Amino acid sequence: MDAESSTDLELVVTRIIDAPRRLVFQAWTDPEQVARWWGPQGFVTTYSDMNIRPGGAFRLCMRSPTGTDHWKRGTYREIVEPERIVFTFAWEDADGNPGHELLTTVTFAEHGARTRLTLHQAAFETAERCDDHRGGWTSCFERFAEYMTTARMT
Amino acid sequence: MVPHSMPPDRLTATFSALADPTRRAILARLVSGEASVTALAEPFEMSLPAISKHLKVLERAGLIVRSRDAQWRPCRLKAAPLKDVADWLEHYRHFWEQSLDRLEDHLRDVQRKEKRLGRGKQH
Repeated sequence: MDAESSTDLELVVTRIIDAPRRLVFQAWTDPEQVARWWGPQGFVTTYSDMNIRPGGAFRLCMRSPTGTDHWKRGTYREIVEPERIVFTFAWEDADGNPGHELLTTVTFAEHGARTRLTLHQAAFETAERCDDHRGGWTSCFERFAEYMTTARMT
Repeated sequence: MVPHSMPPDRLTATFSALADPTRRAILARLVSGEASVTALAEPFEMSLPAISKHLKVLERAGLIVRSRDAQWRPCRLKAAPLKDVADWLEHYRHFWEQSLDRLEDHLRDVQRKEKRLGRGKQH
């Protein structure tokens, strides 16, 4: 398992995007642009309220191709132009209560004229932003990943 | 496709059980094999009753089982709920991959427009 792949309770997605970093960062921090792309293919953003600053909240509704509404919400923790955005993210249930919150870190790095976008989503770091915890947690789930691999083979 | 369409109840129980560094450390220890409560308590500055409380939470969430046979009732990891969490996170991967596909399309449009307006970089 290399550093670019996810351990079992962390998600890492990396993409080289054929656009300069300035534009990629803007696409994440301009509410009008975010509403155009955030969501799976065929989904339409029907409501968007985004306060893009540290501590600011966001809430959006996406409508599926079959007409089902899905609400997502969160809070921005860091906005560091043009290199990093950190926010919490949760889906709401049918009653509007947020489900389990994920901490999402998006980093934008220059890659020649293009941009390397890395998205890291962690299941349990929201309550413990402290870096001290990070090592232990990561290694815990590396071991868990190994364990799962072994379990599958037997 | 959308993560919250996953069955929520068991996931919620698993998440609240995992939302504690001591309990996660206990699970990490159990990855290498079963252990007694005393052995599990050793690395923590915590009383045995406090550790037992954590174990009860993990047991209720179905993350560990405690043997009835041996007198020292060793704890053992049960990985199935963790697998559910891992699957749930995988749904997010699809969500983000598709969003990033759309982001790329969107940025192609933005750059075409910039070029037309002559604001694009010349080299």
